[in-house]
Amino acid sequence: MHVYIYDDYVNKKKYENTLARLETRITDLGLNGKIVRLDVMKNIADAVEGEMRRGAKTIIAVGNDTTVNKVINAMINAEPGNPSSSDIPLAIIPIGKENNDIASCLGISEGESAGDVLSARRIERLDVAQAGSYYFISSAKINSRDTVLDIEKDYSIEIIDPGEINIINLSTFSNLPQNALSCPQDGLLELYIRNKGSRTITKFKPQETTSLFSLKKLVVNNKKFSLTIDNAQEVKMPAEISVTKKINIIVGKDRHF
Amino acid sequence: MFKKQDEKEKIKEVETIIGPSIRVKGNFNGQGNIVVEGILEGSLKTNGDIFIGDTAKITAGIEARELRVGGEVNGNIKIRKHVEIAASAKIMGDIECASISIERGAILNGKCSMIADQKTDDKELKK
Repeated sequence: MHVYIYDDYVNKKKYENTLARLETRITDLGLNGKIVRLDVMKNIADAVEGEMRRGAKTIIAVGNDTTVNKVINAMINAEPGNPSSSDIPLAIIPIGKENNDIASCLGISEGESAGDVLSARRIERLDVAQAGSYYFISSAKINSRDTVLDIEKDYSIEIIDPGEINIINLSTFSNLPQNALSCPQDGLLELYIRNKGSRTITKFKPQETTSLFSLKKLVVNNKKFSLTIDNAQEVKMPAEISVTKKINIIVGKDRHF
Repeated sequence: MFKKQDEKEKIKEVETIIGPSIRVKGNFNGQGNIVVEGILEGSLKTNGDIFIGDTAKITAGIEARELRVGGEVNGNIKIRKHVEIAASAKIMGDIECASISIERGAILNGKCSMIADQKTDDKELKK
C-alpha cells in the first residue's frame, strides 16, 4: 500500500487545483493509497512508524524539502537498529515552486509528472548523513565566521575571508564547479566553502571564490551561528557530521547524478 | 586571464579545490585531482594531478602524477610524469620528474632530475 504524507501547508487554498490534478493522475495510474495529513495534533514520527509497521509499500512525502527531511528522520528513527535504514522506498511529490531543491535534484517536477515518476518506480540507494541526532539527505550549511572545522584526517582548514560553509551529500547547488566530483552514493561528503574575497586597491568588487574537499567525517563548532540541515532543521553545536545510513528513493530519469 | 581560467577548467573530475581564501596546515593526502589557489603548509600528495594556481603559496613537499605550477612552491617536488612550470611560478626546491616544460620568466632554484617514465621503460623491455 502506498502511504501519502501530506504536509500541513499543502492544505492551503492556492494548492487546491494542483492537488486535485495530482490525485486524478495518481488514480489514473492505479497508485491510490492511504493519505495521512499532518497537522499540529499529528506527530509525524508516530504516523510514519505506524504505517511502516502496517506494511506500507512506499512512503510518499507530499510537500517540500522540509517535508522530505521530516519523513526521512521519521523513517530512520522507526528502525534505529537497522544500519541500512528501511528497505521501504521513499518517494517525493513536490508541491509549490519554492524550497523544492531536493525533488528537482532527483529529477522530480511539481504536479502530475511526479505521479509518472512514482509509477516508473526507478529506485536508487542514496547516502543519508547525520548531524548530531538529525539526519539529512541534501546539505548542511553555516556561516563561516567563527566556525571551527575539525577534519578526521591530519590537517586543519582555516577560512580567511567571510562566507558560507556547506556540507553536501546530494548537491542542489547550480554553481558547484562543473568539474567537481559529487556523488550521493559514494559514502563521502563534500565540504563546499564559498567566500567573498577581500577588497584591495585594484579590486573594488570582491570576487566570490570557492573551495571543495571530500571527506568522511568532520566536527563543526560555532558558538554564535547554528547549523541548518536541508533548509529545514537547526542543529545544536558542536555537531559531528558523517554518512551513517542509506535510504531507497524513487527518482526521475532527469536526476543530477 | 581567460587562458589561465581555461587551463584550470581542463582538469576533469576535481576531488579537491583549495580556494584563495583557505589555509590548509598538515599532511594532505588525496586520491584524485587537486587544484590549489590558497595557502598550504605541510605536505601534499595524491595519485592524480595537481594544478597550482598563480595565487597559491605552498610550503610543502609535493608528490603527484602530473603537475602544473603557476604560484610559489617551497619544497621538493616528485612527479611520476610531466611537470609544467608557468611564467608566474617561483619554485625553491628540487624537482624529480619524467618530463618538464618551463615557460620564460619562471624562477627555479633547485636541482632538476629526470626519472624514467614507467611507460617508456615497458616499451623498451618489450623490444
